[in-house]
Amino acid sequence: MTTTMSTRPAFETARPTSKLEVMKQNLFKQKRQISLERAKLYTASYQQTVGQPTIIRRAKATAYIMDHVEISIRPEELLCGNRTVRPRSGILSPEMDPYWIMQEIDTIGTRPQDQFEFTTADRQYYRENLLPYWSGQSMKDFINAKITPEVKAAEDDLVIKLNQTDKGQGHIIMDFPAILQRGVGTYVTTLTAKQAAHPDNDFYTAALIVFKAMQRHFDRYATLAQTMAADESLPTYRRIELTEMAAMNHRLTTAKPQSFYEALQLLWMTSIVGQYESNASSLSLGRMDQYLYPFYQASQQAGVPADFTWEVLGDFYLKTDDVVLLRSAESAKCFAGFPTGYTVALGGLDKYGQYAVNELSNKMLDLYQEIQLPQPNLSVRINEQIPRRFLNKTCETIRLGTGIPMLFNDEVCVPGFLSKGVSLDDARDYAVVGCVETTIPGKTYGLHDIALFNLMRIMELAMQDLRDEPAVTYDQLRQHILDKIDDYVKIVTAGSDIVDLGHREFAPIPFLSSLVADCIDNGQDVTAGGARYNFSGVQGIGEPNLADSLYAVKKLVFENHEMSFKALVDQLNADFAGDNGEKLRQHLIHDFDKYGNDNAELDMECAKIFRHYALELGKYKNIRGGEFNAGAYTVSAHIPLGEDVGATPDGRHAHDQLADGGLSPMVGRDHLGPTAVLKSVSKIDNTLAVNGSLLNVKFSPNTLKGDNGIRKFADFLMAFTQLKIRHVQFNVQSRETLIDAQQHPENYAGLVVRVAGYSAFFVDLNKRIQDDIIRRAEHVL
Amino acid sequence: MPADKGLIFNIQRYSIHDGPGIRTIVFFQGCPLRCPWCSNPESQGAVRPMTWTKNGKTETISYWATVDEILDEIEKDEVFYRTSGGGVTLSGGECLVQYDFAATLLREVKALGINTAIETTGAMPLKAIKKVLPYTDYVMFDLKIMNPILAKRVIGDDVGQVKASFEAALATPTAQVTPRVPLIPGYTTKPENLQQIADYVHEVGIHEIHILPFHQYGSQKYEYLKRNYTMKYTPLLTPTEVDNIHQFFTDQKITAIVSGLE
Ligand code: SF4
Repeated sequence: MTTTMSTRPAFETARPTSKLEVMKQNLFKQKRQISLERAKLYTASYQQTVGQPTIIRRAKATAYIMDHVEISIRPEELLCGNRTVRPRSGILSPEMDPYWIMQEIDTIGTRPQDQFEFTTADRQYYRENLLPYWSGQSMKDFINAKITPEVKAAEDDLVIKLNQTDKGQGHIIMDFPAILQRGVGTYVTTLTAKQAAHPDNDFYTAALIVFKAMQRHFDRYATLAQTMAADESLPTYRRIELTEMAAMNHRLTTAKPQSFYEALQLLWMTSIVGQYESNASSLSLGRMDQYLYPFYQASQQAGVPADFTWEVLGDFYLKTDDVVLLRSAESAKCFAGFPTGYTVALGGLDKYGQYAVNELSNKMLDLYQEIQLPQPNLSVRINEQIPRRFLNKTCETIRLGTGIPMLFNDEVCVPGFLSKGVSLDDARDYAVVGCVETTIPGKTYGLHDIALFNLMRIMELAMQDLRDEPAVTYDQLRQHILDKIDDYVKIVTAGSDIVDLGHREFAPIPFLSSLVADCIDNGQDVTAGGARYNFSGVQGIGEPNLADSLYAVKKLVFENHEMSFKALVDQLNADFAGDNGEKLRQHLIHDFDKYGNDNAELDMECAKIFRHYALELGKYKNIRGGEFNAGAYTVSAHIPLGEDVGATPDGRHAHDQLADGGLSPMVGRDHLGPTAVLKSVSKIDNTLAVNGSLLNVKFSPNTLKGDNGIRKFADFLMAFTQLKIRHVQFNVQSRETLIDAQQHPENYAGLVVRVAGYSAFFVDLNKRIQDDIIRRAEHVL
Repeated sequence: MPADKGLIFNIQRYSIHDGPGIRTIVFFQGCPLRCPWCSNPESQGAVRPMTWTKNGKTETISYWATVDEILDEIEKDEVFYRTSGGGVTLSGGECLVQYDFAATLLREVKALGINTAIETTGAMPLKAIKKVLPYTDYVMFDLKIMNPILAKRVIGDDVGQVKASFEAALATPTAQVTPRVPLIPGYTTKPENLQQIADYVHEVGIHEIHILPFHQYGSQKYEYLKRNYTMKYTPLLTPTEVDNIHQFFTDQKITAIVSGLE
């Protein structure tokens, strides 16, 4: 067992005026590095547990990590729990997929997106020890062996993409209110009793192993804090803090938290244990302002100084930026800039159907204004009852230009969940998971990011199929697209089920499951179907391009008879080559209306196809008995998925990006301003996008200037609410600022921008994504 | 001129810098004046369809539309007017040139409970504005050159008519009136002119005006119209110049609010 002491320059004896500033700077001092520590510990444990059931082996490996991982308390920290000693390290989980890192082992330090240092010694260790051990027995191997020829063909057709085949499933919100109300001790007692009553239930045994390890992990921090507190070279204030941390961490091994400080400590430790177990994206935080408020009030009443509360919450914010996710180059293209997914939903509805906002909701936005880092990714739930004061604060925060918070519309999300059999109380309690997906916190295993479904690619294939059909009609084309959607929906659900099964067989998560209703009652892991709600979410991608393309074909070929269908397909296959090709392309871009300009005929075409897709998907049940839900978002996948699609009738060149976000108009094609954009988006029945949708709207700072700007922005958001659009996020940056940042990244290290569904550092993004952000229509007036 | 139609050259949504709330602006063709700084030169002259040449293509930029057709466009942003207290603004050109049509349109919009506004220079016989005032919630009234001789010579304006129209607006209790002064270097910003504006504003008992600094947003349009734009090289006012004008009005006990495009 190793520990690291915090080091502090001897001259610094007074408590720094801004602890948060010190901690923030420490976070970014060193380059990001890959740490093999977890992989080594996990493997060491696995070697000792051969022959035991997977869920037990997993639990023991997680426990082993918690008992042996190097721990640290960094300077000024008030909360314990660092996943790695070195901040922002990338963690490998070769038990899921040992192969992808091999393909990138020499490029990961220099790849265009999200580089990590990988030391020579570690690379060698990986090649010689970890790779050989896990080859042939990882989850990836299992999934690859199960993939059917049909699914493989659909992947090769570039229509579907299965996600989470190389890492934990993630996209879960644990029942934080429950563990905060009960404390770790209660879980240990409950699981002990359950295990005694059901000795052959491996889930209970496994869960108990991890919870007991969590207790020991708390105590390791208590001991470390105690040891550090004894260091006489530390200033007195720090030694007092460390002594208090030691006592608190020891207390939390069993007791339930009494104060806001203790609640945040337990919340963070729970989250970190979940990370050790899953190594996954998006173990999101849920409705923090709601479940922490009783603790916040208790601390206030007990006379805890407000600035201490502020610092502890600030420390919590910074810790969420410490955890970054190591993704493959392909995945990093889709999810650029470390969207780890510590997403928080503020406001919303309480169980009485009233708007739920409190002092903590406001404080959390205030604190964001001070810290301004990409995580936690704050969102605000909006509905017709939102009080103006809170809405104004939301608008002021958005005006900072970092894209935080994003907005989720209760008027859409709640009915969406009701339509999927979720109870009214649960639906009102929804929160945001991942980037823009919604879930019922503490009750759902939703596989919210299981697959991508390229609708634009389907249209392209449909057009190829009909190229030689002499008397092809528009209705025939449309019908053929719908038929193909049906075929591929069937396949994507089958493919998703294979991945689902892979996680069941290889990656049960007993700790996390114990914090999802009703796994403890059912005695089942979430991967085995123990959760109350069991969705799978498949993202339909390219709706805006599909709508623009269909409309252009309809007018050009079938109404104006300007050219034959075949001739058009040939032009597309040639990617508009030659002068005539370019002329046609310009004609297609400029002379046919586009989605985003409030053209009902065109928008409804988009709406009908999306509805067809969503309803078709909803017909399928996954292996846990839950429904498949449609999403309409790309995060940043519109760039790689665009690479998969040839030239399209909307005038888009082959391999160019698709429309960003999901429901945003194609870049540069909307020209009537943001009200028209919202109107177009509202034509699509957003309620059907139960899994999530994404709309980017870019404003120039001028639009939001002054009190008047805020008032009109708030009014605009109320209209958004009434238009029943599910999600919106804003990028408030002048073009000039961004171009300058691209040219002089050194001056803009702290510039946070909204990529899609999350915010990242602009300078952390590759040039193509930067260009994309710069190009997006800026609504100036 | 079709009796039941108006000649329109643009309908612009999401206007948030002029008038209450989020607004849609309907631009009316036709203007009796010829301001050298005009940023909508395509609107000048009689009410007749106008063409220009853009990227080598000749386009007709104005079109006849019925009240219902315009209402269809207006209604698209109805939800935004409702949440913001915004509505519809008639602009131009000079919307009062087609005053009968303007009045009908305003009446219909107002009947829907949507806020109505006009932007006008008052450069029409008094009966024109009188026709629309009963249906207008908000009047943005431009005061430009106040010396009658200069006004006639430079922009073809009849100051007497302007004042009569302005005072008619002020006398309408249901209409809120904001005088606006475009700050045009070499024209409206001359000290004598500013003094005349201040004096007049005092005379009619008003203490607040909007000042709109000169901009060059319309210069491209002169090229499309193949017309010479005499103010092409006129520099924008510096912040200090705007401040000085602001200070001038403050000294005259008039609150001047800087507005317009930025
Ligand atoms: S009154 Fe307005 S539209 Fe008419 S010429 Fe002058 S600036 Fe142009």
